[in-house]
Amino acid sequence: MVQIYPGTSQVAQNRRNFTNPEYELEKLREIADEDVVKILGHKAPGEEYKSVHPPLDEMDEPDDSVRELVAPIDGAKAGDRIRYIQFVDSMYFAPAQPFLRARSYLCRFRGIDTGTLSGRQVIEARERDIERISKYLLETEYFDTARTGIRGAGVHGHSLRLDENGLMFDMLRRQVFNKETGNVEMVKDQVGRELDEPVVLGEPLDEETLRSKTTIYRIDGEAYKDDVDAVKVCQRIHVSRSFGAFNPEVGW
Amino acid sequence: MDIEIFPYRILGSDTTESLLNDLESLDDVKRTVIHGPRFPKGEATLPEKYRERRVIQINGEDVVLQVKTARIFLEITMESTIKEVEEICEKHIPYGFDINQDRSNYIRKQRTVTDKIKYGDSELPDDLVGMTDQYSKFDDHVNIIKKDD
Repeated sequence: MVQIYPGTSQVAQNRRNFTNPEYELEKLREIADEDVVKILGHKAPGEEYKSVHPPLDEMDEPDDSVRELVAPIDGAKAGDRIRYIQFVDSMYFAPAQPFLRARSYLCRFRGIDTGTLSGRQVIEARERDIERISKYLLETEYFDTARTGIRGAGVHGHSLRLDENGLMFDMLRRQVFNKETGNVEMVKDQVGRELDEPVVLGEPLDEETLRSKTTIYRIDGEAYKDDVDAVKVCQRIHVSRSFGAFNPEVGW
Repeated sequence: MDIEIFPYRILGSDTTESLLNDLESLDDVKRTVIHGPRFPKGEATLPEKYRERRVIQINGEDVVLQVKTARIFLEITMESTIKEVEEICEKHIPYGFDINQDRSNYIRKQRTVTDKIKYGDSELPDDLVGMTDQYSKFDDHVNIIKKDD
């Protein structure tokens, strides 16, 4: 077994799936490239990428063995700007959650920077790479249209009670529920600027699927204390850290 | 005595309407306060398919919802009513709910300085004490619904 995350529960298995780069995540929906650009709101669809430096090929770079070892990602090669996408995950059985996102992003993607807060998780990369990564994050299991929010600003809501239709509270009302079709639609981009045409994200996952896909331990789902293996490893790390500062020979 | 109904999800207009209608049909329920986050300002300008707010009818009277229903406070007189309230809630709230009665008053019963500033020296009936959001106008927030005779 890949040693990524301990535990025998379904939640632990889901955490391993997300973090293991060899595991292929299930694709749940289809979102067009143009729609991803609209949601991000960093440039108009079809617009050229702006650059902050000339393409690497045209630059006279100093000799450096690391530069030879590491192949630059596409955006870096072209000199794109750094852009971001930020997600908010509801505590009510959202498929992903911030710390897991950080671990899995770092395992899965190259050339990124990620920042974790209690309710939200930002990922930064060169513009064309962030578009590619965003598309992947929106189409796969990372995202549920109701329990996950794409929010660059006004992120409040991850710990609030859900709406009756399962949607997480959003003060800017970017993702709204369409009563006629049952789909969740994005009517504003991630920072709350109105879109000309709504982007259809798709139907929310049902409660049972969410519970089987979630990576959140909850007392009303799978409780952390019931996952004995995971707790044991956590305690061991805690004790080793306290007594030996992570040195296994000095530690307990 | 007052009780608080605490649903595990924020209720939409349809559920609020049916729930309140059934609660109002109980003779022992004297006053009802709906508590929760306000509807967003631009709600009225949204296309119909996205709109959650609407005028609901309770006992045949129009009530303009100002907030989404996150808690409901009820003023009742008998312990036995709680059982009936619970049955009604079970029918309308499938996501689960709590009925709290830890506090003796969920609805304020005493007049305060704010009441005095707002209504002056005029006599404020006991029934209306504690029914308003102190930051808003009275008419916006209180609906007086007659019980069926």
